[in-house]
Amino acid sequence: MIARVLLLLWIGGWIVAGFLWAPLVPVLGETTRVLYFHIPAAWVTVLALGWSMLHSILYLKRRDMDHDHQAAAAAEIGILFCVAATISGSIWAKAMWGSYWNWDPRETSIFFLLLTYAAYLALRAAIDPGERRARLSAIYSAIAFVSVPFLIFVVPRIYFSLHPDPIINPRGKLDMDPKIRTVFYAMLIGFTGLFFWIQSLRVRIARLEQVRDTAAGGML
Amino acid sequence: MTGLEATNLAHRYGARVGLEPVSFSFGAPTAIAVTGANGSGKSTLLRIMAGLLRPSAGACRLTVAGRAASREEHRASVGFASPDLAFYDELTVAENLTFAANARGDRDAATSVRAALDRVGLGSRANDRVAALSSGMKQRLRLAFALMHAPGVLLLDEPSSHLDDDGRAALARIVADERQKRIVVIATNDETEGRLADQRIELRGRGLGHSA
Amino acid sequence: MPTSGSSSAAAVWAILRKECVSEWRTRYGLNAALLFAVTSLAGVSFAVGRLSDRVDVLAALLWVVLLFASLASLSHAFVREVEGHTLTMLRLVASPTAIALGKLLFNIVFLAVIEIVTVPLFVVLMGAPAIGGGFVLLLALGSVALACAATLVGAVIAQTRGRGALFAGVSLPLLLPVLAAAVSGTRAQWMGGSIAPDAKLLGAYAALLFAASLLLYDHLWED
Repeated sequence: MIARVLLLLWIGGWIVAGFLWAPLVPVLGETTRVLYFHIPAAWVTVLALGWSMLHSILYLKRRDMDHDHQAAAAAEIGILFCVAATISGSIWAKAMWGSYWNWDPRETSIFFLLLTYAAYLALRAAIDPGERRARLSAIYSAIAFVSVPFLIFVVPRIYFSLHPDPIINPRGKLDMDPKIRTVFYAMLIGFTGLFFWIQSLRVRIARLEQVRDTAAGGML
Repeated sequence: MTGLEATNLAHRYGARVGLEPVSFSFGAPTAIAVTGANGSGKSTLLRIMAGLLRPSAGACRLTVAGRAASREEHRASVGFASPDLAFYDELTVAENLTFAANARGDRDAATSVRAALDRVGLGSRANDRVAALSSGMKQRLRLAFALMHAPGVLLLDEPSSHLDDDGRAALARIVADERQKRIVVIATNDETEGRLADQRIELRGRGLGHSA
Repeated sequence: MPTSGSSSAAAVWAILRKECVSEWRTRYGLNAALLFAVTSLAGVSFAVGRLSDRVDVLAALLWVVLLFASLASLSHAFVREVEGHTLTMLRLVASPTAIALGKLLFNIVFLAVIEIVTVPLFVVLMGAPAIGGGFVLLLALGSVALACAATLVGAVIAQTRGRGALFAGVSLPLLLPVLAAAVSGTRAQWMGGSIAPDAKLLGAYAALLFAASLLLYDHLWED
């Protein structure tokens, strides 16, 4: 309970600080603040994917249904944050680059993550709950793990060649204003906390559902 | 010497109970009848024994020459026939069995296939496509498939289904012969099949209708 | 154990042979794939005409046609086993790894047959530049990566409720890197550049997919 209130105060406080305390970057203007939401959301997307894949592999090793609950919950939350990062990035791209979608390497990568999450969840939806669903989706998750880092290498190749002058983010993290940097890192921590909190709720629900279904099966 | 044992072996299909906990220990040679109401888990138990199904609780261990069999050895020392075992329709009877023998690494596949087909009385149909077989002949083919590699454990799920009198007689001869050498497990509710065995596992699952 | 190793090599070989005989007698998957390849090729050709002066677009079109032709039937290898209820028999005679490797080899052969028909047709109909050794290398590496992804995903998909229906969507994330690198390499080849970076990427991806698959095959069938 206390942890949840602290998390709320932490995120709320730093949002206010982002608007009132931290300065704006000259070129970016008002859009500077997307930094405090968009990048943490994208970070959670990657974190959730990694978390999901880690638990998938652990499931295959240990066959404990709890790892399946973790993997599925992280994928569900991951796709949520992935959509949030995609939309916020797209709005920012419209403001800065003049169009919502340019197939910029970063946009391509996040689109790919969305596809991977969606495929994983579509696969789960096609199998009845139980050991088979846990095992098959864990196999898929593990093989998808191979393709994710590859895309980081492959995407710039194909899209740089399509776009002769790719638009690279002009901001270097190193010369970020100290106040901006403080708010940015604080929001990263806040979003990470948010992820683990939602994750714990989702896993508890999954455990309860399993208990309920088992009990119902016993009474049939 | 082959042995088959399990302690508190149980299985659930998701929320549904497939097999209530069961324990046993057998050593070759013997014949065991697995009986129980519909839905009590006879087929589930045989699939677990065959290594086709990973049980949700407990384990079924096969011992060969006094030590636990690896997964490869387990597969090699089990012969399995059940009503839902199907073969490739587009291949002939002999081709199906030859494929199985080759995949198992049998160096003299042709001889094993011919011997197995003769034992079940299917020798004359060796070159027919499986699609052209009647259900009784398919059942004979299942028996030939289970027998052909001389497995330490022979698992037969309702082995006389679809068989005519001649087929039942052949089955009785085969079981009488095999039980001298190996473990034969027959899942059945048919008393004539049950009499082929000398030990019995009675599954007391809830089956249909009864409340626990 | 050497005996187990040699017997599983025998199993892989037996499965590959069985697949080829089955496919040759029914020709169900092959006909569908070839028809699909020719249909999509004709569709593309009718839609854009000859594009001899735009080899960059041609490279992309070729791989899209190949990708869809193979997606239409690569899941077939396992769906057929599940629908014919023959998977139980297969699992009784071979280890999961041997089954999957046999199917993988069959899928590679299958892709090669589709490519032998589709690629020359594409060159003739679309006016693409002649095919060189570099292109064949890309094709081979791309096919191996495609077959690795399709075999594992196909085995998983065959056990779901929808069977074939989900296959294209679920394998796409695994195939996008193949598509991207293969198109980029083909484009480089046809425009006179070096294919080395893309061939390396494709080769590394195929090797990684294969290695990961080898670790995962063992878990494919347990019920």
